[in-house]
Amino acid sequence: MGEEKPGILQGTLDLMVLKTLETMGPLHGYGIARRIEQISEDALQLNQGTVYPSLTRLLQKKWISAEWGTSENNRKAKFYSITKAGRKQLEQEARSWERISGVIGRVLKTEASGE
Amino acid sequence: MLGWLRIVASRIWGLLSPKHTDEDFTQELESHLEMLAQENLRRGMAPEEARRVARVRLGGLTQINERHREMRTLPLLETVVQDVRYRLRALRKSPGFTSVAVLTLALGIGANTAIFTLVHAVLLKPLPVAHPEQLYNLGDDQNCCSLGGSQDSFTLFSYPLYKEIRDHTPEFSEIAAFRSHVPKLSGRRSSSDAYGEPFRTQFVSGNYFSMLGVGAFAGRTLTPTDDEPGAPTLAVMSYRTWQVRFSGEPSVLGRQMILGREPVTVVGIAAPRFFGERLDGDPAELWIPLNSEPRLMPIGSHLNETDDYWLYAIGRLRRGVSALQAQSHLKSEIQHWIAARPNRSGYKPEELEEMVLTLTPASGGIQSLQVDYAAPLRFLTVVSAFVLLIACANIANLLLARGTASRGEIAVRVALGASRARLVQQVVTESVLLALAGGAAGVSLAFLGTRVILLLAFRGSEYVPIEASPSMPVLLFTFMLSLATGVIFGIAPAWAGSLAQPAETLRGAGRSTTDHSRVPQKALLVLQAALSLILLVGAGLATEGLRNLEKQRFGFLTAGRLVVQVGSDFGGYAPERLPSLYQELQERLAAIPGVQSASLSRYSPMEGSNWGDPISIAGHPAPPGKVFSSSLDSVSAHYFETIGTRLVHGRYIDARDTPTSPHVAVISEAFARKYFPNEESLGQHFGIGDASHSGDYEIVGIVEDAKYIAAREAAHATAFLPLLQARENNSNIFHDIQLLVAGSPQNLEPMIRRTLANVDSNLTVLRVIRFDEQVAENFNSERLVARLTTLYGLLALVLACVGLYGVAAYTVTRRTSEIGIRMALGAPRRDILAMVLRVAMAPVALGLLVGLPLALAGNRAIASELYGVKSYDAFVLGTAVLVLIASSIVAALIPARRAARVDPMAALRYE
Repeated sequence: MGEEKPGILQGTLDLMVLKTLETMGPLHGYGIARRIEQISEDALQLNQGTVYPSLTRLLQKKWISAEWGTSENNRKAKFYSITKAGRKQLEQEARSWERISGVIGRVLKTEASGE
Repeated sequence: MLGWLRIVASRIWGLLSPKHTDEDFTQELESHLEMLAQENLRRGMAPEEARRVARVRLGGLTQINERHREMRTLPLLETVVQDVRYRLRALRKSPGFTSVAVLTLALGIGANTAIFTLVHAVLLKPLPVAHPEQLYNLGDDQNCCSLGGSQDSFTLFSYPLYKEIRDHTPEFSEIAAFRSHVPKLSGRRSSSDAYGEPFRTQFVSGNYFSMLGVGAFAGRTLTPTDDEPGAPTLAVMSYRTWQVRFSGEPSVLGRQMILGREPVTVVGIAAPRFFGERLDGDPAELWIPLNSEPRLMPIGSHLNETDDYWLYAIGRLRRGVSALQAQSHLKSEIQHWIAARPNRSGYKPEELEEMVLTLTPASGGIQSLQVDYAAPLRFLTVVSAFVLLIACANIANLLLARGTASRGEIAVRVALGASRARLVQQVVTESVLLALAGGAAGVSLAFLGTRVILLLAFRGSEYVPIEASPSMPVLLFTFMLSLATGVIFGIAPAWAGSLAQPAETLRGAGRSTTDHSRVPQKALLVLQAALSLILLVGAGLATEGLRNLEKQRFGFLTAGRLVVQVGSDFGGYAPERLPSLYQELQERLAAIPGVQSASLSRYSPMEGSNWGDPISIAGHPAPPGKVFSSSLDSVSAHYFETIGTRLVHGRYIDARDTPTSPHVAVISEAFARKYFPNEESLGQHFGIGDASHSGDYEIVGIVEDAKYIAAREAAHATAFLPLLQARENNSNIFHDIQLLVAGSPQNLEPMIRRTLANVDSNLTVLRVIRFDEQVAENFNSERLVARLTTLYGLLALVLACVGLYGVAAYTVTRRTSEIGIRMALGAPRRDILAMVLRVAMAPVALGLLVGLPLALAGNRAIASELYGVKSYDAFVLGTAVLVLIASSIVAALIPARRAARVDPMAALRYE
């Protein structure tokens, strides 16, 4: 299953997709991938295909929904939007992420100063 | 948890709509690719380059697609669906194999389903009442119908005792009582009917229906006020009786019927599924309050007799109360009540002290039928499981043979990288598919089988409240059984298949004379032979037990005899009228064309009723602490001649014996042996009851011993009194007519009916039955076991022989070239024949070696259950072995002869 690029955990990508959809509103797969790349200032060079397993997973958990629509340049594309359950999940995840990253940050700092 | 469920649900959905969603996803990726390419174009790339870079940025299309499919559906399930489709196609392509397999499985599964239908209905299914699990039987109902005296295990109540415990046992929300057995009363549908007809009538306490939680289909049920002294006589009718005997006429409600001589108003029809408080053939048709019993059964009414114990009681335990707690309270109540009676109801003080009362769960009602059938049904369950095992072995063998035939194909697939797990999965899929098809066919076979079983088990009953059509639990059982069956018989072939060595197989396909996959095949044949032998021995023993019962010396003759059970309501008759009535009846019956001899009696042999009482013998006082007792019957002139009981000494009871003549009696040889071992018994006197009666009857004859009640025991000591002289226990009222007839006895019924009605309109024919049939109905459970075991044993034998034939035939086909070579080198045909027979019979011989000790052990184990069967029955064992060997030889001979006819030249060109 380890098809994601090293460094991006499965759950992390899900979280980023959710956040993207929350801020940007309905978006197609390409748009989501682009947005994540832009936000990370292209530090994350995704195989853009990897957003699809993430989208499938989120769909199955009913955290996002999908609908066919027309893109900016008149192309048929599938648009994803965050659901109510998705927002709740995002809020939770974001909170626990902050906590964990805070903890990890502190741990790393202590180790550094201990040396 | 919920999230996980959602994923599974959406994956199953994905599985069900594969095409659509796959296209959907391809289109989505396509559009993604397009947008990436557009972006690249905008950055100034050449169109060709823009698309190439876009594909790189997106990643491998195939992988994404594959991964998406994997996530979207359940991969295992998907391969299963594939396998099912593939296997179904394969099975359709070999209809011969498929139909043999499905038929075999249908027989095996059907045999089990039929037995389980009965097991479920008789042993597992609760009564159709509200919350049956709260019901408890106050006692263990092993003791039917005894009236007076102490009970080993308390279970029968008198009416006053019932009222006492009903009102003072708060552990139960309600306690209802009813007669321990359901009598047939003669009734008329309305007062204008000329003839009476029998109605099975149960007397119940007023709270019977409310205690059970059973409602009325129409009208109302009974209430406690209906069961007060002086209340008008009301009845609730069973739904079935209303439908079948009254064609569902609405006017039955509120109608006045006549039962005996008493008008009875039908106030309700009970709920359709309700058949009373016990499962049995011919259940109650009318329910009538206990307080009407004296009016409907004036002769020997029990209601107001404080020491007549004639009622069963069932109570509904309150929530939160333990049965043990209720039991101990109830027991002390009963002990106190009996102790306060002047005569202690016949209990000695220490007997009362040691009295046993066991509350038993009554969710299935009164267990009289279950007591008779629990052991036979358990036995038959084992027998039918054996049949299924043999069927499984057959299919496993067929699959093994097929597996060997397709070894080349399998080897190629293994060589190309198919995983062994997947191959096993495919074989098991096929076997489960076959088993499910067999199960479906088995259900319809079971329906027929159950009907036959019900006929056997309830011979003599007009109606049995058991559905032969499979119910939900039965279908579920069959489904699970089929699944398990499929897995069981799939294991051996799957195992053998997974052993395939592709390199070896591909090198010399089909040329070897020995290989490993033949070991499980032979083992299965050994198993089949052993199981068949055990079943055949079981069938032989059960049949012998039944034959011993039926063909024993009963002490009477049944051929050409009829018994007519009569409902006689002489409630208002003076005893003086009986002599002329009986005489006229006997004369008119004897005058019916074809009737050679006619007699009347209280009871006839083996009809299930008995009268026993303490006796005293003149000049022979009983030793202290002992009581003399005897079985008793009252009979008219010509009785012994009619039923064919021989006279040993003295004379029969005859026309001389009138109410006014000296009172006499005829005794059985057992009676003479028991009480007059060393002296002449003719001329001795005895009487019923204490010593003051010891001179009542003079013994004038001795007849041969005859069995009246227990066919497995030695004949009881019995005394016969003249019908007109006997007064004790209302024994001057006759219940049975015996007729010795020439020609076909069954056609006489209308004549008999008319004759009785002409003599007295209060005489109702309850049943006309051949004497041999009356005896045969005593052995229903033995017959069920014997017949079914025989049927299943033969089925097992046929299946085992088919299996043997299949394997032998297959061996011949596979070894045709070898046989050809042998013959070309000069082997005589006789040797070839012997060779095939030897190969085929080796597993049978091994099976006999394994099965014989098991059959011997089984013989020892069940001999005590069977009448007159020895614990080592050489005849049955030997016959079973011979039958098995003979049928195996026949099965193997067919392919063996074909082998011997092989043309060596053709065989060598083969392949």
